[in-house]
Amino acid sequence: MPHPGGVAAEAHGLARRFDRNVALRPLSLSLPAGAVLLLVGPNGAGKTTLLRLLATSLRPTAGRAAVFGWDVVRNADAVRRVCVYVGTSHGMYEGLTAQENLAFAAAMGGKGDTARAALERVGLTGVGHHPVRTFSTGMKRRLALARAWLLEPRLLLLDDPFSALDADGMGLVDDLTAHVKSTGGSVILATHEWERGVRLADMVVGLAEGRQVATASAAEVTPPRLRALAGGRT
Amino acid sequence: MSAWQRAAALARKDLLLEWRGRETITAMAVLALLVVLLLGFVIGADPARAPAITWVALALAAMLGVTRPTQAEIEQQALETLLLYPGSREHIYWGKWAAILVQLTVLLGMLLVVQGVLFNVDLWPKLPALLGVGLLGIVGLATLGTLFAGLVIHVRGRELLMPLLLLPVALPVVLAAVRLMEVVMTGGPGGLVWFGVLAAFDMLFLLVAPVLYDVVMEEA
Amino acid sequence: MKALPWLGGAALVLLAVGLYIGLVGSPPDVFQRDYVRIMYMHVPSAFVAYLAVATVFVTSILYLWRGRESYDQIAHSAGELVTLFTAVALGSGMIWGKAVWGTWWTWDARLVTTAVLFLIYVGYLLIRELAEDRRRGARLAAVIGIIGALDVPVIHYSVVWFRTLHQPASIARGDIQMAPPMVAALMINLVAFSFIYVYMLLTRLRLERLEAARAAAELSP
Repeated sequence: MPHPGGVAAEAHGLARRFDRNVALRPLSLSLPAGAVLLLVGPNGAGKTTLLRLLATSLRPTAGRAAVFGWDVVRNADAVRRVCVYVGTSHGMYEGLTAQENLAFAAAMGGKGDTARAALERVGLTGVGHHPVRTFSTGMKRRLALARAWLLEPRLLLLDDPFSALDADGMGLVDDLTAHVKSTGGSVILATHEWERGVRLADMVVGLAEGRQVATASAAEVTPPRLRALAGGRT
Repeated sequence: MSAWQRAAALARKDLLLEWRGRETITAMAVLALLVVLLLGFVIGADPARAPAITWVALALAAMLGVTRPTQAEIEQQALETLLLYPGSREHIYWGKWAAILVQLTVLLGMLLVVQGVLFNVDLWPKLPALLGVGLLGIVGLATLGTLFAGLVIHVRGRELLMPLLLLPVALPVVLAAVRLMEVVMTGGPGGLVWFGVLAAFDMLFLLVAPVLYDVVMEEA
Repeated sequence: MKALPWLGGAALVLLAVGLYIGLVGSPPDVFQRDYVRIMYMHVPSAFVAYLAVATVFVTSILYLWRGRESYDQIAHSAGELVTLFTAVALGSGMIWGKAVWGTWWTWDARLVTTAVLFLIYVGYLLIRELAEDRRRGARLAAVIGIIGALDVPVIHYSVVWFRTLHQPASIARGDIQMAPPMVAALMINLVAFSFIYVYMLLTRLRLERLEAARAAAELSP
């Protein structure tokens, strides 16, 4: 695996609260380039919050974070150029066709005429001209992955990517992850489906109730430990 | 891909979505028409009152319509995705601004026709000037409206806040547009003053609103 | 803040002097007789309201630019005072109108502008309550504070011209011939109200800081 060096994502005391509700307690991590991080924990543990902080969708209330050296607050625009966040909601426009959605994403991301190729990659070419409104959840998820392909991220943030996908769809997540890794980028996979996630991971971070409860390389973490982390038991 | 191309892509997307559903323009048109009918009937269809009634209808409809493009993003949970594309949030502002401006222009055209028909006013010879006044006015409404739409999307009570914010702050637009339209239609003094008010308002907020949009859209 | 009680005392003294001169010491107006005395409350209130708007404007810009909490705290306090003093100005203006011209609302340009200003800054306060967290509410409110303040002169002139350019003002507020004692009374009340404004602003600011400290204390693990 190419390890060109550099730190894809780092956080120092990164925290976020919404008035009284502390979504993420001070957290620190360092993800090297070319590595995959499995972020594991039950619902409400703060996984989405962490991803959104790195994606610059949220601003931290304490601490700092950087993506490929770019500070998420001061250089947010530079971060957005290299980072793609695939959230739990698909972020597509229901009134547009699949191809139109991807063309829009390509236009906004400055990626030229790559919509068709991305559609092919995820096997949705046949329904490219159908409005997204007619898609099943699984198809919408695939479309979201197509969008991520298209935007060529160096840091890919996948939030609960395995839900609503069939076996083929899950294979796409693996493909996309491998692709980003092979180009020297990194991936953070947030999920509680640890069995699927751990096969791809180099590192594991466990979250529970906003707290960082584990940080280890994937080799060190046993399945029972993973199961416990996913269930929120430390 | 330049910044303006991104703004254009966004405007095109909003207008395409609107064209497919035509919900916003229909809602605005229906509201505006009802206001004109109601006021015209209750106050009386004196042609001298036509500009005032037209602009009240336009302002109320604009208030309704200007939130819709941003609201739709939230409903489809696409706002966060939109905000995470590289590039300044100012270009998102301009894209949305352009989309709402096109819709308000359509509405303006409709209202001018309605005004001509219901108030028995011969608009044809004065049409370019009337459209000019109309455009100056809707630029003012669109400029503030897009900013406030982005603002209220993040809080509860949007239906309350939008009128509370937009109508008082846009009051000079309505006043100036009414007077200027009256001057165009029936002559009279003060045209230059009112043109100045509209131009000053538009220029001031065209400069300030996009900058503040960045603050409003800092977080999804 | 140690000087706060002294400031309050000074404000009270000035207000007492202003009240005395306004209510007793100055002569009644030729036309309005004693009703003109409402002016000594109405005009200073409006003046202070605009002073508060300027405060909100400057501190909002500073807050957005620098991000220091203290700017937002001042802006919030001043925003509350805008609504308070515009309400007083509106109320006194309406009473004045009723007393002198027999109507509660005269559609006078300045009264309308004051009413619109009141609404805008109610919005300013509301947005803080309706936002999901404090900081967001503060940032959004700052935007409103800036837009509102920028708009005030535009609103004022367009409302004035709307009435006067189109038709001669049918209800002229009229220039009150101000005898020197009346001018003096007005000036003293202006100063007194300004002192009261600063006193209230600083007191409110202290309350705001205490609340912020308490909130921070609650959150430390």
